[in-house]
Amino acid sequence: MEYWKDETEPIKAFLKLFENASKDEELNSGLKKVNQLIWFDYTEDGPNCSFNVDCRGGEIKVAAGKPEGKPDLVMSLSADDAHRSWSNKLNPVMAITRKKIRVKGSATGLLKLAPKLKKVAVIYEKTLKELGWEDKIMK
Amino acid sequence: MHGNTGKILNVNLIAGEIRVATLPEEYYRAYIGGSGLAAKVFWELGDLNADPLSPEAMLIFMNGPFAGLKLSGASRNSVAGRSPLTGCWGDSSCGGYFAPELRYAGYDGIVITGKANAPSMLVIEDDEVRVVSAAEYWGKGIEEVTRRIKQRYGKSYRTLAIGPAGENLVKYALILNEGHHAFGRAGFGAVMGSKNLKAIVVKAKNRDMSIAEPKKYEALRKELNSKIKDALASQVMHENGTAANLEGGVYTGDVPIRNFTSNFWAEMGEALTGGTLTERFLTKQGACAFCAIACKRVVKVEEGPFAVSEGPGPEYETIVALGSLVGSMDLAAACKAGRLCDDLGLDTISAGGTIAWAMEAFDRGDISLEDTGGVEMRWGDMETVINTVLPSIARKEGKLGALLADGSVAAAKRIGKRSIEYTAHSKGLEAPMHDPRGGGHGLALTYAVSPRGACHVATPMLFMEMGACYYPEIGFEYELEPMTDKNKPEAAVTAVELGSIENSACLCQFADREISIPEWVDLFNVVAGYGWDMNEMMRSGRRVFYIKRLMNHVYGLKAADDNLTSRMMEPARDGEPKGIEINFTGMKEKFYSLIDIDPERGIPTRRILEEYGMSEEAKRVW
Repeated sequence: MEYWKDETEPIKAFLKLFENASKDEELNSGLKKVNQLIWFDYTEDGPNCSFNVDCRGGEIKVAAGKPEGKPDLVMSLSADDAHRSWSNKLNPVMAITRKKIRVKGSATGLLKLAPKLKKVAVIYEKTLKELGWEDKIMK
Repeated sequence: MHGNTGKILNVNLIAGEIRVATLPEEYYRAYIGGSGLAAKVFWELGDLNADPLSPEAMLIFMNGPFAGLKLSGASRNSVAGRSPLTGCWGDSSCGGYFAPELRYAGYDGIVITGKANAPSMLVIEDDEVRVVSAAEYWGKGIEEVTRRIKQRYGKSYRTLAIGPAGENLVKYALILNEGHHAFGRAGFGAVMGSKNLKAIVVKAKNRDMSIAEPKKYEALRKELNSKIKDALASQVMHENGTAANLEGGVYTGDVPIRNFTSNFWAEMGEALTGGTLTERFLTKQGACAFCAIACKRVVKVEEGPFAVSEGPGPEYETIVALGSLVGSMDLAAACKAGRLCDDLGLDTISAGGTIAWAMEAFDRGDISLEDTGGVEMRWGDMETVINTVLPSIARKEGKLGALLADGSVAAAKRIGKRSIEYTAHSKGLEAPMHDPRGGGHGLALTYAVSPRGACHVATPMLFMEMGACYYPEIGFEYELEPMTDKNKPEAAVTAVELGSIENSACLCQFADREISIPEWVDLFNVVAGYGWDMNEMMRSGRRVFYIKRLMNHVYGLKAADDNLTSRMMEPARDGEPKGIEINFTGMKEKFYSLIDIDPERGIPTRRILEEYGMSEEAKRVW
């Protein structure tokens, strides 16, 4: 991995990112509209390198690892590309076309979030600072 | 011959003469089919100088080699000839169900000249082909005509019909298959109307096709269908239609607003996007023949001023053209206006573009109530658009109908007052609903150099800039940044070649995006037996682009006509692309150089024409 020293680091960063994003009114509302159980699968970088977001039923729950129930959507990619993606430095359409991101399930909900990626990137940068990982911030 | 039948129906409506002709086999290899083969036929046999609405004008419907195959997105058809809207080369592609039936009946295409002396309909039942009276359908809307034809002949008869707009020679009148699949652009409904041809009906007894390598084809077909169906984009479009990413487009500045004066309107994005259409009005999905994507919408608006019964719903272009472009974020109104345009026989893109221009002209005071016959043209007033404006245009009624029935460019020329500056078009064809300032600067280039005028489906450039294309086998590995000129001329060369291939093979852009270039080649080889490699396939694409350019040369177009209006080139006023300049001249000059087009005359050089086996064509222009 180019940006992470081990598989725990990206998950720590992304869980914190979602915790912070949920506090933002616009993103919170946007996530709830997605209304899906999503598994972000980075296990190509380690068996425990994944987390899930459950936006169903008007609540947002984030947890490490694979979800217990069957996810509505699985996004599989490397932890480095996830870092690029949350930093808004990876064109998601291009990444999907080139198989850097593999998607299983309905991505309709995610389309609702796509316009908010810029805002997510701002929160991600703050999150990395909070964690003392300024060196990981992509310029 | 495989895939193709080799047979064309020649119909002369003056003489009532119907002949079956064959085309030289080399035409198919060189120009593929669809709009490419139609261009070659038009170039060789058409009266190029004929007014497009005169009896001498030639109207061509042409299949690609894959029509009738049980393959997603492979059964489209092209209509082609001289456009009455632009006066230059025009073609338009349609999905639906006409192409396979025509192929099964034994024909690759129909070439129509002349003018019937009374309203007529062409009926094709295998080798029984006749012209019959359509007097009872004249003056009727397409919905009624389609329903009555099917009542008369049977549900399985496939129809093409025009509405009142085509009869009245509105220059952006369309032709509809099955009452809702559109040959939308460039005004060929008016060409049919000028020939007194209300409809074409086709029915075949059998479903036989000759395939060059049936076993290999069957294996390839299964693989491709599965790839197309499983693709993420297909699933998204199945669920939410072609407008699935409209809201995303609003945030990149791709969606035009109020006659291209704005590139951002957040509330509109959410109100008009495909997911909202699904939630509010979708009753079921619809599909073209053999297509597993099923991106078509069937909708019902239960109540309110824009209530519509269950039936065909709007696609992305219609939602935007009759939504944000005219200042409306009322999705029910877009559903109703789209349905009305279908029935009247109007292209929604040019209708929306022309109405948006008129709304801005009214807003600026460049047209008055005197010019419109008392109709107030206010942004977002969809009741007036639906109840007054669209019917007036289709029936050429009153001052308003007369002003707007020839399109925005003609209207602006009539009004003057520099109102041409806020038209949005290239070569007279109103721009589609992707604003190149936000959608991508390469799109500005491909709109401008497209032979038929501003067109988003002439090439896959929109998808290329979006990141949805990756063709390493032919050197397209660029990661394009939409709002720059970097690598755009190079990408545009690939785009015009691929676009020419797909529009000639009559493939759907949504389906064929999932097919790799080697698979495209395999498909041509196992179905039509062309024995191509990638280079030969790409050369055919280039050749199609060249012959259409030659046609426009005959119509007096030069390199300077490869342009966009100042409205589309000025830096965006808001949204993501705000303030960004398009390096249009730089892109265009490099594109010409890469594709061997003379920078003054706008036609391929003599040397390149000869290199592409077009020496005879070269002699006519050099």
